Amino acid sequence: MSPLHNLSEETLILLLKKKNQQAFSYLYDHYASALFGVICRIVDSSEHAEEVIQDVFVKIWRHIDLFDTEKGRLYTWMINIARNTALDHRKSKAIINEKKNQPLSNIVNREEEQDQSQNEQHTKADFIGFKNILDNLKPEWRILIEMAYYEGYTQQEIAEQLAVPLGTVKTRTRAAFLQLQQLLKEYR
Amino acid sequence: MDIKAYISSGIIESYVLGLASEEEVSILNCIRKNNIEVEQAIAEAEIALEELADSQAMEMPMQLKQNIWDKLNAENLVPNQDIESTKYREIPSDDINEQISIKRNNAIVPLKSYRWAIAASLLLAISVGANIFMYQRNGDNQSQLDQQVSLLHKQQSKLAVLQDKWNLVQNPAIKTIPLKGVDNKPDYRALVFWDQASKAVYLSIEHMPVAPKGKQYQLWAMVDGKPVNAGVFPLDANEDIASKMLDIPTAQAFAITLEDVGGKDAPTLSALCVMGSI
Repeated sequence: MSPLHNLSEETLILLLKKKNQQAFSYLYDHYASALFGVICRIVDSSEHAEEVIQDVFVKIWRHIDLFDTEKGRLYTWMINIARNTALDHRKSKAIINEKKNQPLSNIVNREEEQDQSQNEQHTKADFIGFKNILDNLKPEWRILIEMAYYEGYTQQEIAEQLAVPLGTVKTRTRAAFLQLQQLLKEYR
Repeated sequence: MDIKAYISSGIIESYVLGLASEEEVSILNCIRKNNIEVEQAIAEAEIALEELADSQAMEMPMQLKQNIWDKLNAENLVPNQDIESTKYREIPSDDINEQISIKRNNAIVPLKSYRWAIAASLLLAISVGANIFMYQRNGDNQSQLDQQVSLLHKQQSKLAVLQDKWNLVQNPAIKTIPLKGVDNKPDYRALVFWDQASKAVYLSIEHMPVAPKGKQYQLWAMVDGKPVNAGVFPLDANEDIASKMLDIPTAQAFAITLEDVGGKDAPTLSALCVMGSI
């Protein structure tokens, strides 16, 4: 079985809908590491990230028929699945932690809490050292992207946490995106 | 709606981050359909997150690919015909024994796979044949349709011309004067429609040969025994058309001569074709 190269998104979707093994292989080779990168930034250990990425592939495989090319991009769709699955996973772990009578993670004491759990699991510190383009964002913008994208806070929650008006959160998020697009342009 | 203000409100970024409310999403979906700028901005924000993911990619742990493939099979998410290939393997090129054993496995069931191959080839051949046939038939149908459409157009324009003429005949102010062929051209016929109110004159060549190259039919009104130029019949006119000529206030007769293109000031009597008196 020869590997596939440079499939158009259209062809890939078609093959995925046919549950073609080569399509799986292609999907994995081209997208797994990026999806894994998103997941690693959301869940708190590489062990959990491995669980999540497997679920993500099962979901993509199972729900590819629901994907509508008219409504969006395949890659974005997959990233959203990865992100939501990871956020759900994180929430369910947080509930377990809460049952263990630990406080819910909070933006202020987050750092400390991670230190506490470091003994039993690999922590996010595992991933420190990988290149992070977000580090080049203006700090007050970066926090918005991180809280929204990787922590799953609503904008209302972010506004409360940071004590700024909701409208400001929205316009700053936009500013953050614009700078990010610029950085990505340079990165390419 | 001010689209610039809408875009700069940050709603699109909220949307791609999955933070927009249901109401906001339905408004956005409605706008994006009709506004390329919004659609573009959404795509750009999505691409930014895609590229961010690319830039932050992490190496996948070994074995995970096989694990996931096994999982898909375990959950019956892979169709049965793939069952022989469900063992997902990346065969190391140096592992010759492995390759040989796989070849041997294949050799046990050659008949079965050939049968499938033959059936598949036959189906493919039939499908290709059917496609060619349908394609050609489609082509035939298309050209027939084209012919019919152009015929219809021709008939429609003919009908329009006849309707114009019919309107002239129906008009009570219009006097119709038949022009008949002169002695040596007995089968020539033409009609002059003369509007008694507006004095407008229309000429319809009913049965006369197309004017030879360099020549043109010219209409004359006979006013008190003298010919008055009533205009030339347009060279490019549809032969059935009733062409508007020059206005003629009074006349006792009309006549047509065949003149050089552009017409003349005085008729060439030897070139007289038809005439008719009122």
